[in-house]
Amino acid sequence: MMAVIRAEKLSKWYGNVLGLSDVTLEIGPGITGLLGPNGAGKSTFMKLLMGQLRPSIGRVTIRGADVWNNTELFADIGFCPEQDAFYDELTGWEFVVRLLSLYGFSRADAASKAERALQFVELTKDKDRPLRGYSRGMRQRLKIAQTLAHEPGIIILDEPLNGLDPLSKRKVIRLIKEFRDAGKTVLVSSHVLPEIEALTRSIVLLHQGKILAQGDIPYIRDLIEKHPHKISVKSSDPRALAASLVSQASVQNIQFGPEPGTVVFETGDRDTLFGLLPRLIVDRGIEIEEITSPDDNLQAVFDYLVGT
Amino acid sequence: MNIELKDLRFNYGKIQALSGVELSLGDGACGLLGPNGAGKSTLLRILLGFLKPDRGEGRVLGYDIRRDQFAIRRLVGYMPEDDCLIPGLDAVTFTAYFGELSGMPRQEAMKRAHDVLFYVGLGEARYRSLETYSAGMKQRLKLAQALVHDPKLLFLDEPTSNLDPQGRTEILELIKDISSKKDISVLISSHILTDIEYTCSYVVILNQGKVAAQGDIEALKEIRFSLYEIKTKGESAAFLRGLRDRGCKVEETEDQVLKVYLPADMPRREIFEAAVRENVQIRMFLKSRTSLEDLFARTVGVD
Amino acid sequence: MPISEQGYTHWTGTFAERRFPWWPITRLGIRMAFKRKFFKFAFAVSFLPAVIFAAGIYISERLEDFQFMFRGRRGSTTFLEVNPAYFRSYFGGDFLLFMMVMIMVLAGAGLIADDLKSNSLQLYFSRPIRKRDYLLGKMSTLAFFLLLYTLVPGVLFILLKLIFAGSLKLIAHYPWIPLAVVLDSLLITLFFTFYTLLISSLSRNRRYTAILLFLVYLFSDIFFGIFYGIFRKPGFCLLSIKANLQQVAAALFRVKPAFEVPWIYSFLILAGIALACGLVLVRKTRGVEVIR
Repeated sequence: MMAVIRAEKLSKWYGNVLGLSDVTLEIGPGITGLLGPNGAGKSTFMKLLMGQLRPSIGRVTIRGADVWNNTELFADIGFCPEQDAFYDELTGWEFVVRLLSLYGFSRADAASKAERALQFVELTKDKDRPLRGYSRGMRQRLKIAQTLAHEPGIIILDEPLNGLDPLSKRKVIRLIKEFRDAGKTVLVSSHVLPEIEALTRSIVLLHQGKILAQGDIPYIRDLIEKHPHKISVKSSDPRALAASLVSQASVQNIQFGPEPGTVVFETGDRDTLFGLLPRLIVDRGIEIEEITSPDDNLQAVFDYLVGT
Repeated sequence: MNIELKDLRFNYGKIQALSGVELSLGDGACGLLGPNGAGKSTLLRILLGFLKPDRGEGRVLGYDIRRDQFAIRRLVGYMPEDDCLIPGLDAVTFTAYFGELSGMPRQEAMKRAHDVLFYVGLGEARYRSLETYSAGMKQRLKLAQALVHDPKLLFLDEPTSNLDPQGRTEILELIKDISSKKDISVLISSHILTDIEYTCSYVVILNQGKVAAQGDIEALKEIRFSLYEIKTKGESAAFLRGLRDRGCKVEETEDQVLKVYLPADMPRREIFEAAVRENVQIRMFLKSRTSLEDLFARTVGVD
Repeated sequence: MPISEQGYTHWTGTFAERRFPWWPITRLGIRMAFKRKFFKFAFAVSFLPAVIFAAGIYISERLEDFQFMFRGRRGSTTFLEVNPAYFRSYFGGDFLLFMMVMIMVLAGAGLIADDLKSNSLQLYFSRPIRKRDYLLGKMSTLAFFLLLYTLVPGVLFILLKLIFAGSLKLIAHYPWIPLAVVLDSLLITLFFTFYTLLISSLSRNRRYTAILLFLVYLFSDIFFGIFYGIFRKPGFCLLSIKANLQQVAAALFRVKPAFEVPWIYSFLILAGIALACGLVLVRKTRGVEVIR
């Protein structure tokens, strides 16, 4: 995976206040989720990536070229901000075209790009309506249209699903996946972890200005040894199951409930446990209803790492 | 019945916001879903008495929504979506103030404010000026002012908006705790389906000014009989072949999830027997259900 | 049960039926006013005229003791006589009126503006209070301060004079003074209350409303000054809020007004402004109950 964005020992202070500290990472094509509590440094990081801020220490490069003050690179980056700042009297069409003209495209070029962008986000039939008549979902999609109208190779989205109803969210998730399929590099920041999981398994977790974790979600989960994996089994005879496994060294903890018929095993060695399970089930004749891993998700990873 | 609405209609000028809402809600936690513009906020405003319906009738906790608004407001707590806190006050003063305005005597309001602030987790911070509060704390304070007069019914509008993951978890836990008390019912309007699934047992879906679907979440999420979602580890080719030979239909989806259609006469055990035979681990085993999202999409419209 | 339940507990009290359901709003308004920078200072300074006039009443009764101050005017009793003109000087005093505008600015500019800005109206109206109660609560905050500088000193002056004089001479000679005190206090209070509350509801920004409050008052007087300077017609006094207030005060205390203009015009103008403010306020807040 070739790195498109590279940050080397990136640090940024605002006076005394820490923004980002010693961040070194690479982001390649595909979707990467950017997470962290408020104040972790996400917006600082995004602004540094876009060349809006100058690093205090270190550098950010895109395809090898330094970002700071590099106006040529700006044409290759699209940013979808969190805030809703629109000129209500403009129509959707005008809005996209005018922003495009800021990139220096000719009138004709801008028009055709705008057309394509609006089509992509399915706003073609509303393009001539003034923005004040747009619903929240439409405004969000318009922001996305504006983000990719100039056909950038890198797209940065800050809370793109904020305020959207579930259907619009589905649409936007689909759109983002389409960028990924077109080979672009996408960085998405969001607070709603299940929604990030719907988009990608590759995340960067920031905390107090530093990188806390980076990579594939299951991979990170595996590395968190302090919290053994939970495996929940709902069956006709949880106690028999528990009894059979209680002598196993790979089982660190057994808990029953809360739902009837459920037993939760904690293990540091899933391979061994899962290896034993099918044989056990067949031999004891236990009827299995469900096997799940309740903490094998992003929310759990986040909680374990950032921890309350 | 906590909320009963019959043929409720409301227009903003020419725009039809609600065009005949029929609803009957009992105790418990209910999620209110709908696309933007479906009429959710209008409905909430009518239930709270901010707006009077053009036509139709309704009762909240037995009181008529047109005539007995004051009685309703005594028994209902409202947590608005956006910022609404009065700067310059500390949490106790703020909460007690609104308790008094709800009709509580001054000393009672003060005592109750302290209790409620402890409950929502702001005990330590309750004397601090609320401008110093984080986003999560502000949400909890909004919840506190909704609870101070001990309402029987709580309306929460997007309770987790703009919160970071920790804040969201905290608020959701609080909501779950409140709604688990049998005597406070909760109506949550939210766009985040996982939140609704976590806290609510009942859901109402609004679309274009009408109720498009309502019911128990579990009941609405149909079980697709004999369809199981399985994740395996190990050499699965032989395992899949084995299943297919027995008559199962197997589909591989992205995320390495296998969808296995079990024929009616085949017991589940056979999947595990096949796994034992082919030395394959089964790491996930779930009956496939439609998600709330699928339900929403199906109810509300074409995707 | 030995261990008491933690977590949420229900409230077992009963609701109180208040005669004035808006009273907490007033209390909060007064409390927030005192938190404002400079308010305490303005609050104290505004009492200065009252203190001076009260002292004057004391002095007027003990003229003999203070003879030494009036060496050139032996036997003069016309200096410092407590009569209707005295009261009118207090109620129509430039300084007092100015300070009251300052108090309005500090305590009143944000009364509604802040609520609009912080979006807290939806919290207010999710309580069992009427729009009317909300407005009354806010108005009472202002009325509290205004009456403190008008009605209270006025009544105090009457009482002090009666006490120090040891007789009811004041009331016997000028029986209209008590009524005039009450009426003028009400006039000033009602006028400034409506005026301030309306301006406060015009914007979400407390600074704008404060400036507006102050400037409208100031400019009304400036315009009067300009036109009067050019045309020398006393009728222009009707342009100035301050002058109007002074005219009506003079009429109520049956003292010759500063300008040769029938006082009824002044009164109508003030009443008209207050009424207009009231109407616009009611209209404006009709939309306020409906959030966003």
